Parts: sequence; C-alpha cells; structure tokens
Amino acid sequence: MTTVEVPRISRSRATSASLRLSFLMFMADPQWLIPSMIAPVVFGLVAFELFRGSGPYYLTYAILGAGMMSMWGQTLYGSGWAIGQDREFGTLEPTVQSPTPYVYVVLGRVLWNVISGLIGGGIVYLVVLAAAGSPPAVPDPVGFVVLFVFVMLTLASVGILFSAAWVYTRYSGFIQNVGEFAFYVGTGCMFPVVLLPFWTNPIALIFPPTWALDALRYLAIPGYVGFGWGFWPDIAGAVATTAIYVAIASTVFKRVELHVLSKGDLSDY
Amino acid sequence: MPDTPAIEVRGVTRLFESRKGFLFREHTRTEALRGVDLAVRSGSIYGLLGPNGAGKTTLVKILSTLLLPTSGSARVLGHDVVEDSEWLRPRIGLVLGGERGLYNRVSARDNLRYFADLYGIPGGEREARIAAVLERVDLLAAADRRVEEFSRGMKQKLHIARGILHRPEVLFLDEPTIGLDPKSARETRKLVRSLVSDGVTILLTTHYMFEAEELCPEIAVLSKGRIVAHDTVAGLRQLVGGDRTLEAEAYGFDDREVDAVRRLPGVSKVVSEEYGPRTRLTLRLRSLQTSPDDVAAALPGHSELSVRERRTSLEDVYLDLVEEEAH
Repeated sequence: MTTVEVPRISRSRATSASLRLSFLMFMADPQWLIPSMIAPVVFGLVAFELFRGSGPYYLTYAILGAGMMSMWGQTLYGSGWAIGQDREFGTLEPTVQSPTPYVYVVLGRVLWNVISGLIGGGIVYLVVLAAAGSPPAVPDPVGFVVLFVFVMLTLASVGILFSAAWVYTRYSGFIQNVGEFAFYVGTGCMFPVVLLPFWTNPIALIFPPTWALDALRYLAIPGYVGFGWGFWPDIAGAVATTAIYVAIASTVFKRVELHVLSKGDLSDY
Repeated sequence: MPDTPAIEVRGVTRLFESRKGFLFREHTRTEALRGVDLAVRSGSIYGLLGPNGAGKTTLVKILSTLLLPTSGSARVLGHDVVEDSEWLRPRIGLVLGGERGLYNRVSARDNLRYFADLYGIPGGEREARIAAVLERVDLLAAADRRVEEFSRGMKQKLHIARGILHRPEVLFLDEPTIGLDPKSARETRKLVRSLVSDGVTILLTTHYMFEAEELCPEIAVLSKGRIVAHDTVAGLRQLVGGDRTLEAEAYGFDDREVDAVRRLPGVSKVVSEEYGPRTRLTLRLRSLQTSPDDVAAALPGHSELSVRERRTSLEDVYLDLVEEEAH
C-alpha cells in the first residue's frame, strides 16, 4: 500500500497555534475580563491596605502578594479551565486525534495564561503604585522582572502537570476549586511559607513556585530571611523542581492519553 | 500490494465499564462491539448502517485512533491503529459532526488555522488550503464569521472542511448529513462522491438508507455490536429474500390466509403488521413467478384489498436484518 508524504509536525508551531487560539478565545469572551482585569485591581487595593505600615518594604510585599494571587489564579486555574473548555466544546476529541501530542497544545494554553497572568501582575503594580503615590524601592528592578517571569514559568509547570488531571477527569473544575486556596497559601503566594507551621514547609517545597517566590523575596526585600539557605539555592531548587514537573508532565500526558483512549470518555462533559 | 484493504478489522470487541454512586457503587458493563470483522477496499466508499447504539461510532473512533479496542485488531493503511497511531493520525480524517466539536467564539477560518497548524500544514500553503476547503464546502463567504452564528448545516460543513483540510487518505464520516436540510445534505453527498474520485477511502456511517444506497457500493449492517450482514445492496436484497416486494393491505387477515400467501411460488418471507384497523402483509419474492394478481387471488373475500409491487429497498433489508438480530 502506498501512502503520500505527510508534513512534519512542528511542536513549536502547534504550541504557538494553541497560544494564539487561547488569545482569540480570551478576546472573544467578556467573562475573562473579571479575573484578568478587574480582580487584580481588587487584590491590589486589599493587599495595599493589609500590608500598609507593616515595614519599610510593605509596598513590595503588597505587590508580590496581590500580584501572585492574581497570577496564580490566572495561570493555574486558567490552564485547568482550558482543558475543561475543550471538553465542554467537544473539541478535545479532534485535538487529541490530531498528530500533535496534546501536551504541546496544553503548553500553548498555559503560556497564554502566563501572559495574561503577567498582565494581571502589571495591573496590581499600577494599582498599588497609584494607592501609595510612589513606586516601591526595589534594589534590582531588572532582576526582579526577570525573576517575576521565572516565577510565572514555575507556576506554569504546575499548571501543565495539573492539566493532565483535567484531561483525565471531567471533575477538574471541582478539584481545582477545592485545591486552589490550599496551594495558594502553601506555596507562599501572599506571605512567606516560613510563617506557616514548620510541618507545612516540606510539603510546600514540593511545589516549584515556593522556591521561586522565596528567591524573589530575597531579591526584592533587603534583609529578608526566608528559607535559611538563601537566594541561589532557592533558584537551584526552583529550576530542579520545575524540570521535574515538566519531565513528569510529559510522561504523565502519554499515560493519561492512553488511559482516556481506553476509557473512551473524551467527549463527556 | 493493490489488494491490501485500506481498512481491515478483525474480531474487534469493545467493552465499556462505568461506575456510579458513592457509597453503593454500581458497576455496569456494556459490550459496544462484539467481534467485528470488516474490510474496506482502498479508494472506495463503504457504508456502515445500524440503529442507535449499534456500535457505529465506537468502531469509527477505534479506527480513527480515539479509542482502544478491548480485543481484536484494526489496521488502517496497513498500520495498526493502536501501535502505529502516531503514523496514522496525519493520514486519516474524522468527521464526527453535530453542534459540538468546534470553537464557536472564533471564526471558521481561525478554527481551520488552528487545526492546520496541529496537522503541520506548511505555513506558506495554509491560507490557500483553508480557502480551498472552505470553497469546496461552500463556506468561503462565511469564513470570517464566528462559528456561533452558523446554522447546524454550516457547522456540519465546517466539520467536513476540518476533516479534509490535511488531505487524508482515509476519511471516517460519522453521520455527515444528520440534521441537514435536503439541499445541504445533497451538497454533502456530492462532496463525498468527489472525495472518492480524488482517491480518498471513506467509511461512512448513516441512518439514511437512501444515502447509503446512493453513495456506497458496499454496505455492512451493524446491530448490537455485530456485523449482521455485509455485501453490495443487490447482495443484501437477496440475503433478505429477494429483489421484489409485494404489499397487500386489508382490514385483517387470518392465519389461514397468511399461510396461503406464504405457500405462493417464490415467496421467501411474509411479515404481518397492524396499521390501526388495517393489516399489511409484506411479501419478499425471489422470483417473478408470483404476481400481484396471484396474491389477490390467494386472499379472496376482501373487497377493500389493495396489492402493490415495489422494489425491495435498502430500508426493507435493514429492517429485516436488524429485526432478525433483535429476535
């Protein structure tokens, strides 16, 4: 039997196609304005009032806390929802049936959520800036921005891994809602993990954002004492755990795909 | 190897298991496919008929690598659908149809751009290819409208456009004309024929007998997860008792009269059905020996009797086969 040549699948092109589609869907659906544009304003004002007068770097704490709260939801929740949305639309089947491994489609969705999360972080910054009337003192602004983006990528790695569960089950929204707040507090989004009971610390270290956020505070807040090992070990921990999450995700996605093909519920919602 | 079938299914079974309840778990098992064998020649169109729940969509999903068979083997273009799914996916197309399965908030063109990228269609060709398929399904004028504004028929056409965008060698069409108005359905059938003339092998499932008869030289009837018959339409007619059908209607027939009709030469099957106060006897005939007048002569004493002759339709064949399986 003779068959025609088929084009080579470009994973980067598939990822960017998924990112582009996510952007178009976002722009077409006004409901996303609430978590991406309005919620950061509320988070910024609440965090500003919460941290006001708590020390010389309260503005940085407020921006980090509210910014992470906004981005956490956008990145992780948005990633989970993207898969749930594919189930709802009935597009999970044709997407899985395409030659592109589904993990690259998920990656595109997660990247868009990272971008929209960063926009949320920017809104928080502007809100706190407007409320305080002056910018926060950040010793290394460029390093701060770079590390900020890195924190988002660590969040994205959690999003990718969790997305596997969203492919696996149609109850992803429920699991997401139950877990969101625990993860948010447990990874030190609003306040440093070291302020939590000690027994929670080893659990928190399982998550890449815990390490990255601790490093970000080391960079942004002079005299900050988080985990005792300092800035660079935090970076190393964040890189290592992120790599582990991505590696596990790529394996898990293959297994999940096999499982859903065996179960036959890709079209259920 | 020109004789190698494009689609070959051997002993495929598929069992669905589901659990429900929290404290008291209820476990249900459904055998959707029970040992299906099938072979489809390359470059042909093969019809798969069956009632709801017969297993048609399950078989199509297995062949399009969306579902694993519980046992048995299925090969498309000579490659195993489980082991070689990566090789197969760019070479096969699937049209499941219906209201779902599209990104409704973006345009038809953007839907196709997304899938073009997932299928690796070269960037330089992408826009021209999209325009060509949209034109082929008569959607070019609506290409930049949001899909949520589309009618059911337009969505169905977009499903087909997506299914053929990457020029598959084998296309699975699962009830492609369901819910379409007659004009759109006719256009879709025309499109299906043109795909076959392009060399595409098509496996088509449908509820519409005339559609299968019009499009498919070979047909399989699937009932309760089993292929109960597969042949040409003419072969299937012979299988259920002949090319000719006579229908006699009156206000009731007794058993003696039904037996008399059954004994007429060439009569292979007699089915009695009640229609309100009237009864219809449907006779399947293998030969020309018995005419409508002979039937009328065998049923004396019915002043209101009417007897008419018609060609055995695919619908007759289908109903006979499915009913036999049900009994």
